[in-house]
Amino acid sequence: MIALLVTFLTAVFILFAGIQKQESQFKNITFLLLLFGGSLALIESQGIINLEPFFGKILEGYMGKEPMLEFGLFRLMAVAIITLIAAFIIALMPATNRKGSDILALMLFSLCGAQMMIGSNHLVMLFLGIEILSIPLYVLSGSDKENLFSNESAIKYFIMGSFSTAILLLGSAFIYGGTGTFYFSDINVKLSFAAHFGEFPILIKLGLVLTLVGLLFKISAVPFHFWSPDVYEGAPNRVASFMAIIVKIAGFIALAQFIQNFSWMQGWYNQFLIPISMITILLGNIAALVQKTVKRTLAYSSISHAGYLLMFVIAPFGTANMWIIGTYALAYGLGTSLLFYFMDKYSLESQTSETSKGFDIFNGMFYKNKRESIIFTVAILSVAGIPSTIGFVAKFHLFRHSFEGSTLLTIVALIGSAISIAYYFKPFKNIYSSEFSVESTTSNSINWIALFMSIVIIALGFAPMFLTHGLLQ
Amino acid sequence: MEFILGPILAAFIARLLGNKLTVAVAGLLSLTGIAILFVNYPVTSLINYQESWKTIQDYPWLDSTIHFTFGMDGLTWILLLLTNGLMPFIVLSMKSELPNRHQITMLALLMQAGLNGVFMSKDGLSFYIFWELALIPIYFITLLYSESGKDNFKHTIRFFIYTFLGSLGMLFSLIYLNSLTESGSFAYKELLKLNLTYQQSIGVSIGFLLAFAVKIPLFPFHGWQANTYTFAPAAGSMLLSGIMLKMGLYGVLRWFLPLCGETLDVFQPYLITLSIIGIIYGGIIAIRQNDMKRLVAYSSLSHVGLIAAGFFTLSSTGFSGGVLQMIVHGINVVGLFYSIEIIQQLSGRNLNNLGGLAKKYPVFAVIFFFFVIGTAAAPLTNGFPGEFMLLKSVFSYHSISGIFAGLTIILCAVYMLRMYQFSMLGVEKGNAEQKIELLQWFPLAVLSIFVIVLGIFPQYFLDIVKPSLDQIMLEISNAKGVLS
Repeated sequence: MIALLVTFLTAVFILFAGIQKQESQFKNITFLLLLFGGSLALIESQGIINLEPFFGKILEGYMGKEPMLEFGLFRLMAVAIITLIAAFIIALMPATNRKGSDILALMLFSLCGAQMMIGSNHLVMLFLGIEILSIPLYVLSGSDKENLFSNESAIKYFIMGSFSTAILLLGSAFIYGGTGTFYFSDINVKLSFAAHFGEFPILIKLGLVLTLVGLLFKISAVPFHFWSPDVYEGAPNRVASFMAIIVKIAGFIALAQFIQNFSWMQGWYNQFLIPISMITILLGNIAALVQKTVKRTLAYSSISHAGYLLMFVIAPFGTANMWIIGTYALAYGLGTSLLFYFMDKYSLESQTSETSKGFDIFNGMFYKNKRESIIFTVAILSVAGIPSTIGFVAKFHLFRHSFEGSTLLTIVALIGSAISIAYYFKPFKNIYSSEFSVESTTSNSINWIALFMSIVIIALGFAPMFLTHGLLQ
Repeated sequence: MEFILGPILAAFIARLLGNKLTVAVAGLLSLTGIAILFVNYPVTSLINYQESWKTIQDYPWLDSTIHFTFGMDGLTWILLLLTNGLMPFIVLSMKSELPNRHQITMLALLMQAGLNGVFMSKDGLSFYIFWELALIPIYFITLLYSESGKDNFKHTIRFFIYTFLGSLGMLFSLIYLNSLTESGSFAYKELLKLNLTYQQSIGVSIGFLLAFAVKIPLFPFHGWQANTYTFAPAAGSMLLSGIMLKMGLYGVLRWFLPLCGETLDVFQPYLITLSIIGIIYGGIIAIRQNDMKRLVAYSSLSHVGLIAAGFFTLSSTGFSGGVLQMIVHGINVVGLFYSIEIIQQLSGRNLNNLGGLAKKYPVFAVIFFFFVIGTAAAPLTNGFPGEFMLLKSVFSYHSISGIFAGLTIILCAVYMLRMYQFSMLGVEKGNAEQKIELLQWFPLAVLSIFVIVLGIFPQYFLDIVKPSLDQIMLEISNAKGVLS
């Protein structure tokens, strides 16, 4: 709750304070405030302080006797992770001379939606969270007004997104029709009766499928992925980074929280979730192989990560296993935001040529800026899931967990991992190839936040017990 | 843990020294591992480890079930000796004018840490992690210092994908075994206790075999080998063939056979056939090579094929011969690559342009000849006892397979002597003027002494590994019920 409030107040503040000022003035304050909110949530999730009763009192009238938003310890953890990652994404954004801080404010509003999705305990709140998350993003993806692709991306995202939320709304209505309640916990109780008789009403099945379609669209799982490469490509880089990370993580955690209450029907929904997960992993990875531009490769890589994430819900899970998602979210967020950062930075630097979007933007990076190339390498290794990085820890937990659900799926995921090496390692050719070597290093400058993130990736890869013993459990 | 942290620390020192890192300092840093080995675990201390693979260190890692557990026994000790003992030679092989010496030294030392971890790990997951960790530095060594120019990325990525796919197979097997244990542990002991059904052990062994077959490499999985060896820098080729190949063989011996050796009932004929195909295939191709490095690469394929065949026969002769041959092959191949590196500096390494080097460099020619006959397994050189034992084990498995495997003696003599003849003897070609530096003589001298010593006294080495091999044999027979 505290993170949500801090995010919201920050957003309102910079929206109004920054109307006539330059955006870059507000970047640092936003970063610090989000860091503050995220850290508070992190501390609270460890059970050190408890702020919930305080907020509960303030918002009593709004949330009713039974709160529609519920921040248990895991959800607080997830909110903390997502807020901190958003803070780092914003800190990594390049400074522009643009006037008005509306883009930052919209991002923060969208983040509010993500936090609500994670905390929602009620179908209507879930819907509201998705809408609050999405509407700023429709605007943001079109924020590069002079670029036609950006406009295309916005309209595409808007049409597809609103369509999918409509489906989700219909699904919620069906679930309400079948169970008579919007509360997740009540749905669970109702379903336990139905499970006792071994028969689930068709209304609930239909509602579950439709709601899942809406959520799968948000995390861009196959076959609801068609929008994502186009939208990512058209959207400005920083927005694409935000979409690929925050939307995916929030959407998935919401999905996991939601589907947890339907665990009585696991045998039934696994029938289509397992194939979806497999196809998502395979298609995401194989399609990423043949992409020409870095951004589209990243888009397809994020699709494949949606498939990996889905592996989590295949096997029965409880709150005790939730920290696996936390680890994966952290690993994915850290690695992918660094990849997007370097893509953004180097495509800006090599804007002169027509081919500023392909992998050749990284040409000779090792010889130009050694330190940065090492940070980039660490990020790539982490996203690819190589041991000694947090990416491996996350993937390992996921594979081990999903093994209980479906052996075949685990094998497919392992094969997908192997395929992904082929495109994750593609930039190494450009970074390290000696044909691009230059006489002297042109720059030694380094982004301290990127350095910090890469150190976190390595440190948590070597010492993941901090995650499992302290942070996430 | 000191075997992991020591080399990592040395790597950091190498990196910090930067361009100030001289050959001598690099050599000193590379001695870390061998110093630790001799100080902490002298040969005499091995008496304590006679019975089984003793746990010497245990650190909880991920959660209560996943630990970093390190063990020590004769087999581990001798492979640590190989890894850490070869390291100084590998570091010294880097040319003095090499740019960014600190970088490649750092990577080599990091790889040493990974390799030490592989040979010591008593926990499935830490075994996997070190297995992969050893792969990353060698990937960057081959990528950054490759000699093939434009195509280097193609070769290195092929190498990486091959091995990574293999290791993912192993990860699958480990997770599979882990899901069957009650405690959810990866510990070697726990995994050994499992009673797998037939189907389960087939699934597990396919995963393991994939990983080890790529690393060894067995016949159809060798596609990465030749190009990677040829285009890697000398240090990289030595690391790859001298030590990294042994990871796969060690994995077969320590992990695959005890954990799911009962599947050899089905796989044994195929595995031995593939190994023998590898022996003959590698040998025949090696005869036609003119690039000396490529020739040695294919000869490696042929030699490890024989070692693998010996292991798969499940006989104690095969085991001890194989382990001995692992050490011997490491020494010989590092000696060969070292000599080839020197020859390359003198007048290139293409056999067509070479000849008559013995006239100008008589002492070098003699030492080179040691490695050549060592590899060709002439009696009283180090190659002979191991190869003899291996051939004996393959022959007692099946006489036909023994005959085919025996071809390696002829083939190896042909390609090795051809290499020697074309490079050292005959008409003088080219005009090599350079002198061989004093520092370069040192590794050659030490390695060539080992060629003779191991040839005359193999028994000392066999005594060290004998108890642990017996233990492995016992574990296999427990799992299998019958012993061949």
